[in-house]
Amino acid sequence: MTAPYSGSCNCGAVTATIAAEPVWVRQCWCGQCQKAAAGSATNNALFATDAMAITGDVAWKGYTAASGNTVEQGFCPTCGTPIFGRNSSRQGSWVVRLGFLDGDHGLKPASAIWLEEAPEWAVVDPALEQFPRQPPPPPPAS
Amino acid sequence: MPHAGPHTGQCLCGQVHFTIDAEPVGARSCWCRDCQRIASGSATVNVLFPEEAVDYVGDIGTMRMTADSGNTVERGFCPKCGSQLYSKTVDPAGMPMRVRAGTLDDPELMAPGATIWVESAPHWAPIDTTLPRYSRGPDSPLIEECA
Repeated sequence: MTAPYSGSCNCGAVTATIAAEPVWVRQCWCGQCQKAAAGSATNNALFATDAMAITGDVAWKGYTAASGNTVEQGFCPTCGTPIFGRNSSRQGSWVVRLGFLDGDHGLKPASAIWLEEAPEWAVVDPALEQFPRQPPPPPPAS
Repeated sequence: MPHAGPHTGQCLCGQVHFTIDAEPVGARSCWCRDCQRIASGSATVNVLFPEEAVDYVGDIGTMRMTADSGNTVERGFCPKCGSQLYSKTVDPAGMPMRVRAGTLDDPELMAPGATIWVESAPHWAPIDTTLPRYSRGPDSPLIEECA
C-alpha cells in the first residue's frame, strides 16, 4: 500500500491520515521504548508533519534522551495507545507507531536500533540493519 | 529464578510504580491486533502473575473492551506518560494478570515461553520458531509448521 495512510487508536478517540511516504521505518529497543511498547521494541515510521491530519486530543510526555535531545511520546489519553514520537533534533517530522496505522499498510522496519538495551530474549530479524545505539544521521542533502 | 520476589517496576515517568509479591506463572508475547496498537507495532510481552499479588501505586487510566478472544479485558496505562502497565481479564474471572514486561525493573525476569495470536501478526514480525506458537489465544491450535 502507498500513501495516504490512516491510523486509529484502540478506542477511536484519535485518528490520523498521512498523505506522504515515510522517510524511514525502524524499530527501537531503548529502555524508554520498551515501556511504550509493553516490553517489545517500538516500530516507527518517520513522516513529515505537514502531511499529517490528526483528529482528537493527543497527550505528550517528554524526557531527556541519552543523546541530550528532548524526546516526547504522544499517546491517546483515553486508551493509552502509543501514537507518535518526536525528537527536538528532528523538526518538522514525527514518528508514527506502526501499531497505530490501520489495515494492511505494508510498512515494515528496515533497521533495529539501541540493541544494547534489548532484553536477552528479544527476537530481532537478522535481515534488519542493526545498531547497538543511535544510528548516525543521514548525510546532508546535496 | 534470577530474583526472589517481591518484584518491582514503574512506568516511564515514574508516576506509577508497583510491587509484586509472587513469582511469575508464565510469560508470552501477544500479536493480537489490539496489542499491536498497545505495543507500538510490536507484540506486547507479558509476564503473568496472580492478580492479588500485584500492588500498583499512582493514578492509572483504564479502558475496558471486548478483546479478540471475546473476553472482557481491562488495559491499564499511565495517564501522564502513556506507558502500558497491565492487562487483566474481567470476564471470565480468575485468569492471571498480564504485567507488561517493559515496566518491570528487571525485564529479564522471565523470558517469553510462547507466542499467541500469531495469525494476526504482520508478515515482517520476528517470531521465535523455537517457542510454541498459537494461531490465536493460548487455547487455540498450535502452529506445527516451521516458519
